[in-house]
Amino acid sequence: MTGEAWYPWALIAGMALVAFFTRAVFILPGSHLRLPATAERVLRYAPAAALMAIIVPELAFTQNAVSISMENPRLVAGLVAFALAAATRSILATIVGGMVVLMLVRSLAG
Amino acid sequence: MKFQRDHVSALREGALASAPLLIGIVPWGIVAGVAMVSAGLTQVQAVAMSVLVFAGSAQLAVLPLLIAKAPLWVMCATALVVNLRYVIYSAVLAPHFEHLSRPWRALLSYITVDGIFALFVGKYGPDEAKPHKHWFFLGGSLVMWTGWQLASWVGIFAGELIPREWSLEFSATLALIAVLMPLLFDRAAVCAALAAGGVALIAAKWPLNVGLLAAIAAGVVVGLAVARFARPNGGEGAR
Repeated sequence: MTGEAWYPWALIAGMALVAFFTRAVFILPGSHLRLPATAERVLRYAPAAALMAIIVPELAFTQNAVSISMENPRLVAGLVAFALAAATRSILATIVGGMVVLMLVRSLAG
Repeated sequence: MKFQRDHVSALREGALASAPLLIGIVPWGIVAGVAMVSAGLTQVQAVAMSVLVFAGSAQLAVLPLLIAKAPLWVMCATALVVNLRYVIYSAVLAPHFEHLSRPWRALLSYITVDGIFALFVGKYGPDEAKPHKHWFFLGGSLVMWTGWQLASWVGIFAGELIPREWSLEFSATLALIAVLMPLLFDRAAVCAALAAGGVALIAAKWPLNVGLLAAIAAGVVVGLAVARFARPNGGEGAR
């Protein structure tokens, strides 16, 4: 790992550029640029797709294998969190509720 | 100096309007702080990421990839896709801020967050000639920025006091679920997300984590297809 000390810094620099670019792309030039309709439609669905593509493997994998069962604590907690997020729209309720269910399922299994 | 007082009152108005949003951003920031450190970043790197990147969902999205030792370009591409919603915000905000100086526009770009964008667009119409509206935006954004940074630092520096068996890193995934929910605004978005989730599961073992990018592409294609199918008069009237 010693030779890779630069790696997190490169990631931080790259992400900082990406984060600034996406926010500044229309504001900073300051001219009357318009977003083409096709681009706008693609941009509407990409963030939801990206977040879901990250969430699903985090919930479904246990020890490097897919586990779709009520005995997978992360999956059960995640499904409850989806329901809580839909019902309450609250980040706090989603996090707290999901963590409580994770603990419950674990203690029941253990 | 009436002029000055108007700046201050717009700044204060924005700050007060954004205060309720802190309830959402504080736990999310703490979670992001804990997650950055448990993904292997040093405390200095985690603080640098929270200040320089200042994009919670992109940060949380990239951390599982960092743990899996994904290539740099895949992580940056993922951050880009998660942040694409800001391109839309940028296009909407640009006419509001075009009369401002370049440093002002750079500052307001850097500090844009979802909640303040929504507040601002809800308050000011696109052609409304309110000379102090950028002070409202700045006031709200500064509250969010400060709340996010302080919460992140709590997670970064106090996170190690929390026992590992609590699996607090899982709360990062839970925070992403909460952030995802407002993005599922119509049937096409739900279908896009489901398709992306399914492909992500199938493609999880693909090399270099490109399965993630394939899943996003699949989600976008399905979203566009469903949106078109649901609208019998074709592409016209797409908003």
